[in-house]
Amino acid sequence: MFAAGIDIGSTASKAVILAADGGIAAKAIVPIGTGTVGPARVFAQALEKAGITRDDIQWITATGYGRFSFEGINDQKSELSCHARGIAHLLPATRTIVDIGGQDIKVMRINGKGMLLNFVMNDKCAAGTGRFLDTMAKVLDVEVTDLSDLSFQADEAAEISSTCTVFAESEVISKLAANIRLENIVSGIHKSVARRVASLVQRCGIQPEVAMSGGVALNKGLVHSLEEEIKHPIQVHEDCQLAGALGAALYALGSMRSA
Amino acid sequence: MADVKNLLAQFDDISKNPQRLLKEYLNAGDKVIACFPVYTPQPLVLAADMVPMGIWGGQCNPQIAGKYAPIFTCSLLRSCLEFGMTGAYRGVSAAIMPIICDTFRGMNSAWRAGVKDIRPITFIYPQNRKDPGARDFLIEEIKTVRSALEEISGKEITNEALQNAIALCNKRNAVMRAFCEAANDHLDLIRPADRHHVMKAATFLRPEKTIEMVSALTEALAAEPVCDWKGKKVILTGITCEPDEVLGYFADNNVAVVGDDLAQESRQYRSDYPAANSAIESLALHWFAIYGCSTAHDDNNTARGQMLVKLAKDSGADCVVLCMMRFCEIEEYDQPSVIDTVTRAGLMSFSIDIDQSTTESGQALTKIQAFAEN
Repeated sequence: MFAAGIDIGSTASKAVILAADGGIAAKAIVPIGTGTVGPARVFAQALEKAGITRDDIQWITATGYGRFSFEGINDQKSELSCHARGIAHLLPATRTIVDIGGQDIKVMRINGKGMLLNFVMNDKCAAGTGRFLDTMAKVLDVEVTDLSDLSFQADEAAEISSTCTVFAESEVISKLAANIRLENIVSGIHKSVARRVASLVQRCGIQPEVAMSGGVALNKGLVHSLEEEIKHPIQVHEDCQLAGALGAALYALGSMRSA
Repeated sequence: MADVKNLLAQFDDISKNPQRLLKEYLNAGDKVIACFPVYTPQPLVLAADMVPMGIWGGQCNPQIAGKYAPIFTCSLLRSCLEFGMTGAYRGVSAAIMPIICDTFRGMNSAWRAGVKDIRPITFIYPQNRKDPGARDFLIEEIKTVRSALEEISGKEITNEALQNAIALCNKRNAVMRAFCEAANDHLDLIRPADRHHVMKAATFLRPEKTIEMVSALTEALAAEPVCDWKGKKVILTGITCEPDEVLGYFADNNVAVVGDDLAQESRQYRSDYPAANSAIESLALHWFAIYGCSTAHDDNNTARGQMLVKLAKDSGADCVVLCMMRFCEIEEYDQPSVIDTVTRAGLMSFSIDIDQSTTESGQALTKIQAFAEN
């Protein structure tokens, strides 16, 4: 039998299926989140990759913003707990986690078992989140996946407000009108996000090692900016975007074994 | 058990229907004075034979308050202004407004412009509380409030009447503190929302009625078996923790509230009016006895955190939850030092956003659930 974790975020859906021995049987990511076909699609993809059917899954744990809306789950866990558990599994030396999600930022301090010791989240503001980067990429007419490479081509970072997505959008348009290099604007955007995230990291407290989870962690330019702001190296696992789903799957596996 | 449930239902009803209570006071021929948060000198109102009623805004999406209060105004004061402008407080004779933060300074003007039928009675609490002149200054400020209330009531506020009112309020404080202690022995019966309803209803009721009802509840609780609570326990700090949905998240995750430092709740009841040379001086000295409060300046940055640590340890709490009133800057400034002090003491802490302009509180659920899961 298998255990599954599904992470239904605001902008993406992720799923991980674990075999009974804890090995990863399948993982999948669909770039659309709660309220769409994304959750069902990502689950179907994960089942297909594992070569199993729904009946082979003994326990499903959901997490993320849309965790209450997925039918057929056995239970649900908060995304904070799941990211902590997932990162502790992927990068066991981690004691501080930064997760930049589609619409929120989470900073967590964990112990060696992946249990939360403390956490800080931004409150209802898109500044510094994945949504902020999406908005800026749209204004700049580039793909969000290109932001990282562009930032490394900057010769200096343009000054961008870290206060508000809407204000920052106006600022970026002003920079474009002033013929400031696109690469410098992107670098400035990363710095803006990094400053905002760093203030939350400082508020939560840093204990090495520091790791990032979530899809935004794949943006190396942003990770570099954040390392500069918090003055600590940041570990990024190749499966960073799946950390929440993996954590949920680990919870599901635990429930399956004790059921 | 029936008594406890019956009383809790009454507190729930009162806490959710202040407008009905206002009408009852008015129909009985009473004059009512609205009391903005926090530390409004209610004994003055009582000594003038009028009824003090707390006003705490409420869940609403302000439609017209924006004419005078920008979007970045403290969520509570913005909804108060909205309710004032839309007539929810119609019938009250005046509103006492302590200018305890910068937002109140602006709100004074906004209220005068937007709520023409309810006179604001403003006064200033001196923030340099160690200055010898602060006491004399505050006494003069309180005298201006007294004069305004005498004018509205048509009754002189004597020292004797004020002393009696102070004694009544101090008795209410003791009753409220006793309830909080008793509630902690019965966390199975007094869920977070129940506790809140009792505390909030007390801000609308006459002190005599509060004493009667809350004492009855405390006595009814004493007849029930003590509960050995197995779930987690938290302390709430901030201005308010509403609506019920948020408090329900604690209950749903088996988390009990075992103490609070909320302006709407225990902050008002933890310090009595001290003995003094005169009743007016007693009202003034009360302000200088306040500690660990975001509205009262303290040179010691850790005062509030230390107070919360003690409260948490005395009540066996695992965590301090900062209930951050949306756009309340004094609470925002306190947050880092409170979290630092609390976490250094080995307690967990996290903040939840309290926004009266929206019913969306999913992030609070995530945080409370995460705390409960770990």
